[in-house]
Amino acid sequence: MTRKTVAIGLLGIALDTGSRGARWEKWRPTLSLCQQSDLVVDRLELLAGPRYHRLADTIVGDIAHVSPETEVRVHPVDFADPWDFEEVYGTLHAFARGYAFDPEREDYLVHITTGTHVAQICLFLLTESRYLPGRLIQTSPPGRHERDGVGHYQVIDLDISRYDRIAQRHAEEHAEGQSFLKAGIDTRSTRFNAMMERIERVALASPAPILLTGPTGAGKTALARRIYELKRDRRHVDGAFVEVNCATLRGDGAMSALFGHEKGAFTGAVTARDGLLRAADEGVLFLDEIGELGLDEQAMLLRAIEERRFLPVGADRDVESDFQLIAGSNRDLRAAVARGTFREDLLARIDLWAFELLGLADRREDIEPNVDFELARAAESIGRQARFNREARRRFLQFATDPTSAWRGNFRDLNAAITRMATLAPAGRITVDLADEECARLADRWRAAADDPSSDADDALTDVLGTDAVAALDRFDRVQLADVVAVCRRARSLSDAGRTLFAASRAKKKRPNDADRLRKYLARFDLDWATLTGAAGP
Amino acid sequence: MLTIDGSRGEGGGQVLRTSLALSVATRTPIVIENIRAGRKKPGLLRQHLTAVEAARVISGARVEGASLGSRRVTFAPGDVRPGTYEFAIGSGGSALLVAQTVLPPLLTASAPSTITVVGGTHNPMAPPFEFFERAFLGCVNRQGPEVHAVLERPGFMVAGGGRVQVHVKPAASLDGFELLDAGARVRREARVLIAGLPPSVGSRELRALVDGLDLRADEGRVDEVNAVGIGNAIVCTLEHEHVTEVFSAFGERGVRAEAVAGRLVRDVRSYLAAGAPVGRRLADQLLIPLALAGGGAFRTGPLSKHTKTNMTVIRDFLPVDFDVEDDDGATRITVKAASPGKE
Repeated sequence: MTRKTVAIGLLGIALDTGSRGARWEKWRPTLSLCQQSDLVVDRLELLAGPRYHRLADTIVGDIAHVSPETEVRVHPVDFADPWDFEEVYGTLHAFARGYAFDPEREDYLVHITTGTHVAQICLFLLTESRYLPGRLIQTSPPGRHERDGVGHYQVIDLDISRYDRIAQRHAEEHAEGQSFLKAGIDTRSTRFNAMMERIERVALASPAPILLTGPTGAGKTALARRIYELKRDRRHVDGAFVEVNCATLRGDGAMSALFGHEKGAFTGAVTARDGLLRAADEGVLFLDEIGELGLDEQAMLLRAIEERRFLPVGADRDVESDFQLIAGSNRDLRAAVARGTFREDLLARIDLWAFELLGLADRREDIEPNVDFELARAAESIGRQARFNREARRRFLQFATDPTSAWRGNFRDLNAAITRMATLAPAGRITVDLADEECARLADRWRAAADDPSSDADDALTDVLGTDAVAALDRFDRVQLADVVAVCRRARSLSDAGRTLFAASRAKKKRPNDADRLRKYLARFDLDWATLTGAAGP
Repeated sequence: MLTIDGSRGEGGGQVLRTSLALSVATRTPIVIENIRAGRKKPGLLRQHLTAVEAARVISGARVEGASLGSRRVTFAPGDVRPGTYEFAIGSGGSALLVAQTVLPPLLTASAPSTITVVGGTHNPMAPPFEFFERAFLGCVNRQGPEVHAVLERPGFMVAGGGRVQVHVKPAASLDGFELLDAGARVRREARVLIAGLPPSVGSRELRALVDGLDLRADEGRVDEVNAVGIGNAIVCTLEHEHVTEVFSAFGERGVRAEAVAGRLVRDVRSYLAAGAPVGRRLADQLLIPLALAGGGAFRTGPLSKHTKTNMTVIRDFLPVDFDVEDDDGATRITVKAASPGKE
């Protein structure tokens, strides 16, 4: 079904006028809108001040002659001062809000030829922001030799994605932005590339907080800095990039470091200090390991995000800072919320745009392009370009992409490996021996880390128990509990986890109750299923 | 289903109107393609939509693709439905062209009809009311039906708003006719219509007409008419024993009254000089009723491209042939049944 064409426009108190018969010799935009040979306005919503009702009547009557297809509805819309932006915008906005648009059945054209320039601007803004869900239409007078006097019209669709050349330019700009976020590395992981596309969009469309999660060394800090640089290049921010690892902000100094303090606020506060939030005004604040932030600081931070103001230590007046927050975390913040060490409202606030960066082991297809990137970076720092010989490269890549290669330190490991090889490369050639040696070294390190129960599994434990509680555990319990936690997190339910954990003994039992056994075990550490998995219960 | 190439010939609205009229008259479902191909504004314009709509209403046709800018329309008519209809066409659109689209099938319908069309009656892009009433209907009424048209109010270009009523008393079938000589002159009339303009415009045009065509004083007059907006047309009627021809010109902003009258004088003189009874515009219009009658002949001047295109469209619908031959410095067109096997 073809949609009806509905035009919305202001009565032109200058352009639409004309006396008696002479008006027919004059080009009148609102009439012209209804006279086009290839456009039928099925309905015209004519916004006219009550003072001009006679002019409106004339136009309505004339339209009935020139365009019998058109129904005209006159809306009493008046401006005390048609050049007053606030009034005109407010009035037109109210009209748009009160109008029952039906875009399924009707196609809207917003006529911007009549009215003051201010009214044109307002109609443009309302159309651009989709309060008026249509396209703009402009009419123009006939040329000298066009005897029908009707003139011309032009439809302007503000949906710029519809214009091929503009859309292409935008696509190029997006691609540039994404490439920039990826440090120019031609990554192949579709999931990673899709995420970068999303981050690019979000970073340039919204000043809302962004949360980057992922294991240590996955590149959170580097990405946060690149997001900042992208926003700065596109003039979305003009302040500084301020970064801090919240794990270094423990204890009394944390408040003051973040929010600043007044001179004399406490012993040792000899001079006033602005604090990191203030330093990030108009810029980007990157808080890595945000899960390590104390609860008081979290409360203050939440207010600073929501209201853009906070109270420095010892101050009696708020200061303002308009910064964009990027938070980083390698812990599961949801578990921290369940444990009560992280504020749920703060998480909700920073979780709107959450992105999980995968470790290198989960992005094996991206290892090769990153090897090239790290080589180039190493060349910059060493001042000499090193290259793999062909066999050395093949062997290193084979090792690097092997499923058994853990890449525990992620990009940090890769960076270190390449830096070592590039530095030691005789005459700038990374030889097979050098590559083999590096592979063996990495493999050794990862094996040692896997044997050390305090490394990886501890991360998961710290997630659920917190650093202090983990430190209080015996190694005997730590190892066991870490494995139990790992099994639970992979399991679908408490019973499922129980079956896995007690697989050997349950076969001998008449009535196994693995779930109960597991529940009791967890209770010894003040843990339950919900805390472990973030689920509502078994 | 008959496929009509809408881009043939001049590819204008004429192919569309002829096709619609004959589709209804012969109850032939059609699809028209490439409508107004290659034009600056291709596809259906609003005046074409009005024609499609009018043809649909009088035949209960199923129509697809009738929207602005559409280049393909399918039109499957039902039986002709004589009756009382009113159509309206926006500015610039000619009420007479709409009337001409629906008239042919109504000429042989089972009951009388009254068609009212609101729109332009005197605009430069189409024949004026007087041509339709006197020249065209004058011929059609020789074929059996009784059709008469009334101008209730003129409608000029831009404002439109004119009103024409056409009363049709149909015949069982249409007769052919031969129109080879105009015969003796019966009457001449030059009429200036003005609306909303200074009377001097009309009197200057009239003086130029009287001078240019050697008219007697009682053969010309200026009529100030009531119309929406302003307008000016001059219409010259030449009534002969066997045919009435009508010529017209239109006042335009920036064109002197004498120049407007001069155009008309030139047209009338060249018609009289050619010595053929049927002028260029009438020749074009007579093809359909003669083809529906299945025979007839007339003499006219050189064939226009319009007329040639019209012949090819008509042959798609009707088993007729058009013989075109030179006849004493003019062109003689004979409409006859198509020879078998040539269809």
